[in-house]
Amino acid sequence: MIGVAFRRLLSAIPVLFIVSLITFGLMRLIPGDPAAAIAGSGATPAEIERLRRDLNLDQPVLMQLVDYYQGLAQGNLGRSLLLGTGVFAATMERLPVTIGLSLYALVFTLLIGLASGIIAALRQNTWADQAAMMFAMIGISVPNFFLGLLMIILFAVHLGWLPSGGYVPFSQDPMGWLQSLAMPAFSLALLQAGLLARITRSSMLEVLRQDYIRTAKAKGLSQRKVVLKHALSNALIPIVTVVGIIVSLLMSGAVVTEALFSIPGMGQLLTQAVLSRDYPMVQGGLLLVTTFLVMVNIAVDVLYAVLDPRVRYE
Amino acid sequence: MKHSRLASTILAMGLGLPGLALAAPFECPSRGGDIMFGQEANVNSLDQMTSSTISTRNIAMNIYETLMTRDENNRPILELAESMEESGDGLTYTFKLRPGITFHNGKPMTSADVAASFNRYNRIGLQRSTLDNVAGWDTPDPMTFVIRMKQPQPTFIEALSSFSVPIVVIPSEHENDDRQQLRTVGTGPFRLMEFVPGSHARLGRFDAYRPNTSFEQRTGFGGYRVACVDTVTFRIVTEASARVAGLETGALQAVEDVPTRSLDSLRRNTAITILPLQNWWIQIALPNTANPPVNNLNFRRAVQAALGMEDIMDAATDGNFRLNVGFQFPNQPSYTDAGKETYNINDQARARALLRESGYRNEPIVILTNRDYPPMYNAALVMQQQMRAIGINANLRVVDWPTSVQMSQRVNSDEWHFFHSGWGTQPALGALATMQFLVSPNAQYRPRDEVDDPEVLAAWNAMNNERTAEARQAAFATMQRMILERVYALPFGSLTKVQAVRSNVQGFVPFRIPRFSNVWVQR
Amino acid sequence: MSDATDAEGIAFKREHPGRAALRRLFRHKLFVTGLFLFGIVAIIAAAAPWITDVDPQRLSMRNKFLPPSETWIFGTDNFGRSLWSRVVWGAQLSMIIGASVVALNAVFGTLIGAAAGYFRRLDNALMRVNDALMAFPAILLAIAVTAVLGPSTLNVILALSVVYIPRTARIVRSSVIVLREMEYVQAAVAAGAGHWRILRHHILPNAMAPMIVQLSFLFAYAVLSEATLSFLGVGAVPPTPTWGNIMAEGRDSMREAPWIITIPGVMLMITVMGLNLLGDGLRDVLDPRLRIQQ
Repeated sequence: MIGVAFRRLLSAIPVLFIVSLITFGLMRLIPGDPAAAIAGSGATPAEIERLRRDLNLDQPVLMQLVDYYQGLAQGNLGRSLLLGTGVFAATMERLPVTIGLSLYALVFTLLIGLASGIIAALRQNTWADQAAMMFAMIGISVPNFFLGLLMIILFAVHLGWLPSGGYVPFSQDPMGWLQSLAMPAFSLALLQAGLLARITRSSMLEVLRQDYIRTAKAKGLSQRKVVLKHALSNALIPIVTVVGIIVSLLMSGAVVTEALFSIPGMGQLLTQAVLSRDYPMVQGGLLLVTTFLVMVNIAVDVLYAVLDPRVRYE
Repeated sequence: MKHSRLASTILAMGLGLPGLALAAPFECPSRGGDIMFGQEANVNSLDQMTSSTISTRNIAMNIYETLMTRDENNRPILELAESMEESGDGLTYTFKLRPGITFHNGKPMTSADVAASFNRYNRIGLQRSTLDNVAGWDTPDPMTFVIRMKQPQPTFIEALSSFSVPIVVIPSEHENDDRQQLRTVGTGPFRLMEFVPGSHARLGRFDAYRPNTSFEQRTGFGGYRVACVDTVTFRIVTEASARVAGLETGALQAVEDVPTRSLDSLRRNTAITILPLQNWWIQIALPNTANPPVNNLNFRRAVQAALGMEDIMDAATDGNFRLNVGFQFPNQPSYTDAGKETYNINDQARARALLRESGYRNEPIVILTNRDYPPMYNAALVMQQQMRAIGINANLRVVDWPTSVQMSQRVNSDEWHFFHSGWGTQPALGALATMQFLVSPNAQYRPRDEVDDPEVLAAWNAMNNERTAEARQAAFATMQRMILERVYALPFGSLTKVQAVRSNVQGFVPFRIPRFSNVWVQR
Repeated sequence: MSDATDAEGIAFKREHPGRAALRRLFRHKLFVTGLFLFGIVAIIAAAAPWITDVDPQRLSMRNKFLPPSETWIFGTDNFGRSLWSRVVWGAQLSMIIGASVVALNAVFGTLIGAAAGYFRRLDNALMRVNDALMAFPAILLAIAVTAVLGPSTLNVILALSVVYIPRTARIVRSSVIVLREMEYVQAAVAAGAGHWRILRHHILPNAMAPMIVQLSFLFAYAVLSEATLSFLGVGAVPPTPTWGNIMAEGRDSMREAPWIITIPGVMLMITVMGLNLLGDGLRDVLDPRLRIQQ
């Protein structure tokens, strides 16, 4: 298991190196000017030109690349042009917000997805199965921004039950946090819940058909025990894999959800950074987020190896 | 010692007229309470010296103060100084600071802090060109601050009191703070309690604030100011419908930028007061005169004649606008309708005739606009339709704001023909701040090789250097007429921005930024 | 998921594969439902010039914000444009974008995946780049690529291809790796057949099934992502009538004119659901190892 973890970590290094090159290259190719974005709509061309010099944006690209890697080697990701703060600090401020939102959404996902998947499998070919799968199908077909908009119209505008936007830090007011993120987390979770329900159902069905389950049943174990102890624990293997995928999907979905609900997370930070050409922020922020996602995937692989000793990596 | 007319006005106000001193200054009818303000745009930094974005000013101008600012009618007034004297030769300005002012960190303010603020601004301030003609500043004693000029500049006080990127006064120990990194400590009625970029900023009453007793009431960004409420939270709510819903449910006590469509239902709601802020910005398009066929005056005149401003402004603002000639607003002393014959002609036959004269041969015309500011995009869409109606092959090029700015600034660019923008802060600041957009290096009509139209340049110089205000105003009228007749700009009209509050929030008067001093919550 | 399970891609190669599969497909209830839903949208898209009479870009300020009625089937938007025209032409654009992304994926995903799976020397380098591209959050990568290329319909297609080709390539590669070791392939190698011949005749035809399934889901992702990009303001240039653009422009008036966002939203949902059902059916029939049991 440690071997698996080590090998996977090693193989992540070239991937992350390529990620850093791609982000650097992409940002230099983008037309438009960070100075114009920072100065805002009221600035005169002369002010923008001066700001460009102030920010050292008139340096040759190769010099910027050298600077970038020199900084990376010293663990320095640079400083955001737009925020003025360090890229690492800005990321550490925003990433927990997104992770919190993702965890919240993950709870919804697991509750809805596992429950409907298990029910569907146990009541195979009944109306409950069909209803659950219909629900899952709707889940994977509704664009999350559309769902978010519909929820804003219904719950915030017409019913006034939930706040329509804004973020309350968990540390300040846990109840407020739960309330303010309820709609974003749900709209983010539905797609993933649909995916999970489908996978749970099919892997449960597969396991339920195995000999040892039949044996267990024959030995007179109660249905509930069989399901919980044998079927579910074996079905966990594909489910863990899917949860790994879901975490990266949640990160991606958060980009839209955060924009829609004004949540100060990583997705909003990076979208804004791309649109305002905040080179250091995009480079460093994307590198950190991708590193995080790669680590999640490694953790999933390791977990997979633990759950299923047959798995071996080349 | 000789005072310019402007300076004596300020002096009179600064010292307080005896008659007015008898009237009682503002007192909060009720103290306490919290206000949650729904703000449209994101804020990245509260460093008021290095950002000209409106969203920064919204918050920072409740925290920071300046030597001089503008009153309700946009006239320069003193804020942190109790008097200002201009020397007879116009080469020095001597400010006496108001005594007893302390920063939010408890430190008393002295001239050393003012000098440090000017030093930082001169190093990284976004509009440090304001100080180009300044030779230096001195602090003869802790309560005196002197600005020395290289040459007399009649318009210096107008520039110094600008609130576009104001020279806010910060404690001297923050002089070397990096760009966008300024620690948020000012002298204003509110102090910063918490700032989470992308989410919110919470301001609390500064208990040691000493109101400016030269006034009785708040005026513009200055005057006699008191924080009545305990806290004001600026919450970023980008979704317009969400802002309106928040106001209706009472989750927000005040919001900016209410969509026109929502106004009807809000008007029926007695718990809500709607506060339209007229003349928010001038909706405008600028031609690229370096690029044929736009270098041809008849072609530009054809476009000008084709435009119907009602439709353009209606689309840009969803119906909340006023037609407006030129670059100032009717409520401003500098307003002139010089060149009004060129405005809103909306005559297709005349436009077609001009187009024929210009020898236009169906070349594709590129209208450069962006989607970050919907009014600009909307105006461009209607302008395209009106140009097509007279037979111009007009096409939209929609990019994001930073790209459109960069494209519009390239010398002799052949990528675009008309650039859409909105001029907000500058027209509010006055004619001088606005017309700088029409001379090099900022000339947005992009003359070929950046060589200005010499007559326009001459009018601009007169606007700057004439000794009397009347002569400078006359020069402005000349320049505006010239710009409009030669079609170096196509101003469409003025846009109204609607703010709204819960009706129990009182004393809130719409201004270019929301001001929360002298605002109270009725119990 | 791991590569080891891609073993049985060739299982149904034995008799009349095409006809048998088709017959089973059309007996598959979900597939038929999916085909029906997707078919409706596809037909609307194809018939756009004949079923709309108003230019989707024509402004009419007098007619703005009209609710759906007999004259305006879907109502009008903030410029008084016919929402029916815009949604129908939007359907066409969605179909074009989805189909183009699928086509680019089919070509380049196969090429890259086959090269990586078949030529061991290329595998490492290609897959590291692939992994790197897949490591980005998909939407952010698409936003960055469209920012580089500039907003336009073509560039949205390119950006989405950059995002999804690595995923397709990975699926093709895992099939190819398994097939490469099959006895009949090894026999062909021993008989001296060239690489190209082996790939074309022995490997790729058998790697098609999982890829076709993937492409049908990909169509759904592409349609959805395009709408998301447009909604965020980095997709096709307005006033191009894409569903995402229509919804983005309807945001500010969603309290008063909710039809502007709901109608394209529902269309989008129908399309994606149709494609998902279609994909489920294809997978059940073509790629039984992934089958979700009925």
